Amino acid sequence: MEEYHRHCDEVGFNADEAHNIVKECIDGVLGGEDYNHNNINQWTASIVEQSLAHLVKLGKAYKYIVTCAVVQRSAYGFHTASSCFWDTTSDGTCTVRWENRTMNCIVNVFAIAIVL
Amino acid sequence: MMTSDLAQDRAAGSLRQRASGASLGGREFRQKGPRRRPKDSMSTVSHVDEPGQHEDASRLTVQMENTYQLGPTEPFPVVVVNHILEDVLTNYLQEEHYEPELCRQMTKTVSEVIKARVKDLLIPRYKLIVVCHIGQLTSQSVLIGSRCLWDPKSDTFSSYIFRNSSLFALANVYAVYCE
Repeated sequence: MEEYHRHCDEVGFNADEAHNIVKECIDGVLGGEDYNHNNINQWTASIVEQSLAHLVKLGKAYKYIVTCAVVQRSAYGFHTASSCFWDTTSDGTCTVRWENRTMNCIVNVFAIAIVL
Repeated sequence: MMTSDLAQDRAAGSLRQRASGASLGGREFRQKGPRRRPKDSMSTVSHVDEPGQHEDASRLTVQMENTYQLGPTEPFPVVVVNHILEDVLTNYLQEEHYEPELCRQMTKTVSEVIKARVKDLLIPRYKLIVVCHIGQLTSQSVLIGSRCLWDPKSDTFSSYIFRNSSLFALANVYAVYCE
């Protein structure tokens, strides 16, 4: 069992896989919708919960942190940055940016390996 | 500012490695992996790989000695980190007016500074993730949420929101216990 998990950690975090998963979740929740202040809470919660559920289904020994920011599209400015202190061989991150006519959505996934 | 922080981090990192090697019997590695933005003007990055870190393949086969430790010896000091966030955001942003170039640089700087200060607390065995959002304060609406899948007994987070007349800033620090 130890060797099985070490194999997973050697491969590291698969950012492309996570990117696809999250993009599908966002498309499912926000696709075709316009910005609506009443629903925004529910949408953010759905995106985050569904992303987390799908990531867990990958069955890898990781702890996940999923952050979602949804902003209304207007003439404003918005910046995001992150800084991480971790083991770069096993841990990883992925950011998905999605937009439509009325809103922008930025989802960050951070995955930290569990060493068993 | 960023280069001097990096030098300090390297020094702190190597000191810590030596210290942990002497006190435990096995070697505990912790390598810093900051997200570095390339020199273009994009302020969003979907994935950053650090090729330098993967060359050290011998690290992957290190067998670590069992310490029989089940959880953290000291809990993560959320209140102290809240104060650090408040301090850093207020000092860096109190006088500032929102400008795209300034805030682009400021988000990166602030997240690096917060990470360095939390690292200085020397909480053992915790991995840190610092996320910083800065936005213009106009009449638009924004919602930022996050959810975490972790062990709630040992992992935690800290958060602070700063506002002045032209901008808002949100800083989150997630602390994950590393077995």
